[in-house]
Amino acid sequence: MGWIGETVDSIKSIKIRQLVTQVVTLGMIVTSALIIWKALMCVTGTESPVVVVLSGSMEPGFKRGDILFLHMTKEPIRAGEIVVFNVDGRDIPIVHRAIKVHERENTGEVDVLTKGDNNDIDDIGLYAEGQFWLHRHHIMGRAIGFLPYVGWVTIIMTEQPIIKYILIGALGLLVITSKD
Amino acid sequence: MHSFGYRANALLTFAVTALAFICAIASFSDKFSNQNPSAEIQILNINRFKKQSHGNDEVSLTLDIAADLQSLFTWNTKQIFVFVAAEYETPKNSLNQVSLWDAIIPVKENAKFRIQISNKYRFIDQGHNLRGKEFNLTLHWHVMPKTGKMFADKIVMSGYSLPDAYR
Amino acid sequence: MSVKNVRSDPSSVKLGFTRFEMDWQGQKLVEQLMQILLVISGVVAVVVGYATESFRTMMLIYAGGVVLTTLITVPNWPFYNLHHLKWLDPSEAEKHPKPQVVVASSKKKFSKK
Repeated sequence: MGWIGETVDSIKSIKIRQLVTQVVTLGMIVTSALIIWKALMCVTGTESPVVVVLSGSMEPGFKRGDILFLHMTKEPIRAGEIVVFNVDGRDIPIVHRAIKVHERENTGEVDVLTKGDNNDIDDIGLYAEGQFWLHRHHIMGRAIGFLPYVGWVTIIMTEQPIIKYILIGALGLLVITSKD
Repeated sequence: MHSFGYRANALLTFAVTALAFICAIASFSDKFSNQNPSAEIQILNINRFKKQSHGNDEVSLTLDIAADLQSLFTWNTKQIFVFVAAEYETPKNSLNQVSLWDAIIPVKENAKFRIQISNKYRFIDQGHNLRGKEFNLTLHWHVMPKTGKMFADKIVMSGYSLPDAYR
Repeated sequence: MSVKNVRSDPSSVKLGFTRFEMDWQGQKLVEQLMQILLVISGVVAVVVGYATESFRTMMLIYAGGVVLTTLITVPNWPFYNLHHLKWLDPSEAEKHPKPQVVVASSKKKFSKK
């Protein structure tokens, strides 16, 4: 119970300068994280250099909660590559494998058909109405590396937003009451 | 290090950082493994070869696939995804890759195999260019690691061709 | 901060274990031990795992190492409190009164020169 008294005491005795310093420090931490994220985007050439696997359609290779590192180069898409793509009208990107590739002679445009390893049928059902192929502009990147389990934090925070608020609240409290 | 919480926090941060290093080293160690995979594919039969109602050619064939991918498995390998694709050229397309069959190999023991199957996925052209077409059959593998960088490669086998007339 | 500071009370030093505080030598020892133990766990884990070709072994060894390190460095064991800080006896402090702050006006005269 002495701890609660201490906490209340420390909140009461906050000086303005100290508070501003702490807010600025917090701001620095957040902006550094943002800088690192944007730099990653530049280096890997894709809008989302790191994605979390949300469904089980690529099991047993990628399970829900795994993290994938993406990279996008100008090199042509080939069969077998694991690509991350956006379908018009859906906002969640999908990570599946390219099983058919038809590349045009002169323009280099490409038609790609994808399928999840764990699915029985290909992805035509997932594409937009009347769309039978993916084109280059749908594809956001290729998966080149992976880390297991680390993405569960993101999944929990997305599906149970209350946990996100609790975490941020606790962090805020910690920052305000820390004596450093 | 003056309080319990501080020490616990320091330990957790260091332990997780060290864990990230360990995973990176494990992934890096894959570079040093000796890999010599081999494969052989034969076309046993062309089951059907026709032109669909909306103009595209379609082939159905039975393949005999023999491969030994055991040397690709390392301590950091979770599974290997293997697939066979037909690759060919047409006037309109500089490259066509159509996956005919794929499988997931979870353990080293299953990596040496021989199967005879008909194509899992439909072999359909964008057009009607397949009569008498020469094509390559490629066996691709994608190694999915327990942690770290994925790598892939393939073996190209050429010299296959489709009959000159529909059946 | 108007938090009650136990350290200013010399009598608590004799108890040693109270309020999870460690003396300075202990803190230095803890930091070194923590880093060394974790690095060794990591190295042993990688080497044994690679030699036995078992990823699982590596993870288990490392996890074991982390648990061991936690047990050794996080709780406030007595051997971290061997070098007590000697606080001044209160009677000694009275013999050396704090210097009085000189009145501000004399300082101002000085700076105007």
